[in-house]
Amino acid sequence: MPTLTIDNQPVTVAEGTTIIQAAERLGLVIPHFCYHEALGAAGSCRLCAVRIEKGPLKGIQMACMIPAQDGMVVTTLDPEAVEFRAHVAEWAMTDHPHDCPVCDEGGECQLQEMTIAAGHGTRRFRGLKRTYPNQDLGPFIVQEMNRCIQCYRCVRTYRDYCGGTDYGTFGSRNRVAYGRVTAGRLASPFSGNIIDLCPTGVLTDKTFRFKCRSWDLQEAPSVCPHCSLGCNTLPGARYRELLRVKARVNRAVNGFFICDRGRFGHGYQNHPQRLREPHVDGESVSWNDALAAVHERISQTTEHHGHGTVAFLGSRRATLEANLLLGQWAAATGCTRTVYECHPEFDRIARTVAARLGDQRRSPGDIQRSDFILLIGAEPLAEAPVLALAIRQAKRNGARIVILDPRPPQLPCAFEHLPLTPEQLQLALEQLATKKFKGWTRDESTTLRNLGKDLTAAQNPVIIGAGALLGAAGIERLFDLVDASSPAARPCGVLVPLAGPNSYAAGLLSNGGPDFDDLLDAILNGMVKTLVCLETDPFEDYPQHGRAQSALAQLESLIVLDALPTQTTRHADIVLPTTVPVESDGCYINHEGRLQAFAKVLDPGLSVAVTGGGDHPPRIFEQSAPGNLPRPAWAILAEILKLPTETAALRQQLARTDNRFAALTQIHRAAEGEIVTAIGIPPRPQDDDGAVESSVPGSLQLWPIDTFGGADIFSTYSVHLDPLRDEPYILLADEDAKQRGLTDGAGAVLTSELGHLKVRVRCTATIPAGIAFLPHLLRGATAGFVPGGGALSCTLKSVEGEA
Amino acid sequence: MELLPENQQEFFRSKAAAIAHPRELVIDALRAVQSHHGWVPDEGVTLVAALLGILPIEVEEVATFYDKIFRRPVGKRVIHVCDSICCWTREGEAIFTYLQEKLGIAPGETTTDGVFTLLPTCCLGACGDAPAMMIGLTTYGPLTPQRIDEILAQVRAEVSA
Repeated sequence: MPTLTIDNQPVTVAEGTTIIQAAERLGLVIPHFCYHEALGAAGSCRLCAVRIEKGPLKGIQMACMIPAQDGMVVTTLDPEAVEFRAHVAEWAMTDHPHDCPVCDEGGECQLQEMTIAAGHGTRRFRGLKRTYPNQDLGPFIVQEMNRCIQCYRCVRTYRDYCGGTDYGTFGSRNRVAYGRVTAGRLASPFSGNIIDLCPTGVLTDKTFRFKCRSWDLQEAPSVCPHCSLGCNTLPGARYRELLRVKARVNRAVNGFFICDRGRFGHGYQNHPQRLREPHVDGESVSWNDALAAVHERISQTTEHHGHGTVAFLGSRRATLEANLLLGQWAAATGCTRTVYECHPEFDRIARTVAARLGDQRRSPGDIQRSDFILLIGAEPLAEAPVLALAIRQAKRNGARIVILDPRPPQLPCAFEHLPLTPEQLQLALEQLATKKFKGWTRDESTTLRNLGKDLTAAQNPVIIGAGALLGAAGIERLFDLVDASSPAARPCGVLVPLAGPNSYAAGLLSNGGPDFDDLLDAILNGMVKTLVCLETDPFEDYPQHGRAQSALAQLESLIVLDALPTQTTRHADIVLPTTVPVESDGCYINHEGRLQAFAKVLDPGLSVAVTGGGDHPPRIFEQSAPGNLPRPAWAILAEILKLPTETAALRQQLARTDNRFAALTQIHRAAEGEIVTAIGIPPRPQDDDGAVESSVPGSLQLWPIDTFGGADIFSTYSVHLDPLRDEPYILLADEDAKQRGLTDGAGAVLTSELGHLKVRVRCTATIPAGIAFLPHLLRGATAGFVPGGGALSCTLKSVEGEA
Repeated sequence: MELLPENQQEFFRSKAAAIAHPRELVIDALRAVQSHHGWVPDEGVTLVAALLGILPIEVEEVATFYDKIFRRPVGKRVIHVCDSICCWTREGEAIFTYLQEKLGIAPGETTTDGVFTLLPTCCLGACGDAPAMMIGLTTYGPLTPQRIDEILAQVRAEVSA
């Protein structure tokens, strides 16, 4: 632990810390461009010059390149160093256009800040500036190459950190440019990070272009709602419209990065179909009338049919506060059937995780430090994209990555892949734990045995698995394997991406209660007459649509709180419009039990872009904004329960009532969130093993799977993400396609118990024969194919054959 | 026009398969395409990437880094005139102007008969012979207008032969 002196202040830092990092610890920002905490130093911009007064290398040195040493004396204010930095800044500025007034980066531009910090104010260079043609990089990113200062951060971010393969550095000398070989959309699902990392206005957000100056934005710390990782974000809004989302630093979760679903999936907030007014029986009503109607329906149901005939359904995307209040409301009405997840398989998985994760939980930050990562039936790019980024960093740090999965993996790094069928995955999970391998070919058996040994030998192994292919039974086996691979000295880590941003809370809150299957049975048996749905869509998210529909049709009243129109709100008798996450305070618990708070960014309301139709908004003076009726679900529930409708007071109350969530009172101050250590109750043992029924000859075992572009309702309501959504396609083995006279790219008709569906064929050699995958897109043609409900039997015919 | 004869393609394919870092063949393969095809079109970049089993971007980065790899059509002979300091101190600028007048083209252009393309270049390492230029792989210097006339006539004769 060397102690050095920087600008007369002593600081003790860890071995290997550079001078620039040591200065940062003292709160001294040495001007820099190429250095970035996540990317490291390149030593190429020469801006971070300091003078080393005492130490092995005296004189002007680059602060990002020199490791701190004991007794070192450094000054950043030395006149020669100051002049050096001023010249470097002036040099970087010789070709930079003075277009700050029309540049989206203006106001949050590192080049502006560093130029001022380095002391360069007046332009002396009178020559011609070098200019470039710009390249079209697709719907998300605008390139303005003339602003480039050649720091290489974009390439280091896109290629090195994110693993993209279609962006690079061209030319030499003062002609250096960055881009793709040919114009087109950047293919990496993490492309948006180059916007955050570019220190000037070369790469800016196309969806945000010319919408607003950065200093006019309403911003507040937030948490991404698009998957269960809980990446930290900084959304920005103006004139009642969510305009952009940036990554916010949380070293334990997402570091400095988010995925493009999180960044560009923000169109839901201003979607024209947002639910804006309370409705009772299809009529728009006031909040007072709506809440009176809710009260009336519930008391009528209880009076006519007795206590317990009203049931409550919570959700993986409602806040912890709202889910807790729903539970309190249910208890107050005498309900014994409160369910927090409408997908029974995902419910079981969330309960298993909440019950068994314990100290073996791993965050994406932990994953980066792992030396052995075993993925079994997980597709991080679809289920938890930033996890794929963390796995890549582990690989770059020398970890071994092994994937057991029937699908062709899409990880942005090198890996070993053993394509096993979903049944074989179950077998592998079981036998890796027992170390007795039966039912395999000699090669497979050797591979698995070695894998088991390597897992035991690894210093910091992590096992990752997800529910869509493994099912709840598989996730339990996964935990058994984790336990079997965890000697006391060295526990094996585990990470299970869950279905939604608050699934873990749902798993914890279910408390051993019934699941949605039980609830549907109760409805079908006439024991439940009224159902209250909190920001959930059982019509679409329950795997068997027919069963959900016939059961829910028997209800006397369906009361729904939600922000966006769903099948459930369309069937509802009472609709209470709620805010989307950026419009209220709230908390989510992510996949590893990390409780994180997000703050309100903006009030709900129809954006000025809508009310003005692109022109000046109507010149009508009112006390309130149009479309501002949606309220946070927790505020609606708190009002019903006569509890405080103010965040801090409500959190105090909730923390007092349920001490598992005592952290709620302080959570808005916790920079990296707070792990909820309470242990959940595991799901009841299940007879059904998730075994796939034997299929008719000629049929394929069809597994619906998640996709990057459409796994959650928020992103499906985001038009910006449309370019990422493919038309329905089926993924199958080359030989299965050939048998059916199909080739890659051909059109085909898929027939299953869900009817006929036109799909495009995609085939590869690595998929085991007899299995096919159908990427699921909420609200699209593939909506009925809900992942996590097991496999379907299907047949596939070429379109030409049909005709 | 063919980018690279099949036997040379096979040469690069097998050589790439036999070595640990096929990227080291990028320059050789680009030059092979250039000497056969005259310059490297986009398809040439894609072809080299496919032959070596690497990404097109990795080939393009190299192709654009070197000014002796031509990513646009050029004449049958490319004249590289040194504009670095030694040649500059020995009237290099006047030589460059003379070449432009003589050929009737500006830097970066190709003569109408398609024989010469004129390009500036950084130091050719021929400072002892300054002012210098390079045509193909031959360096010429010290240059005078008379010497340039002779060289151009000689090269033109070679090309038409």
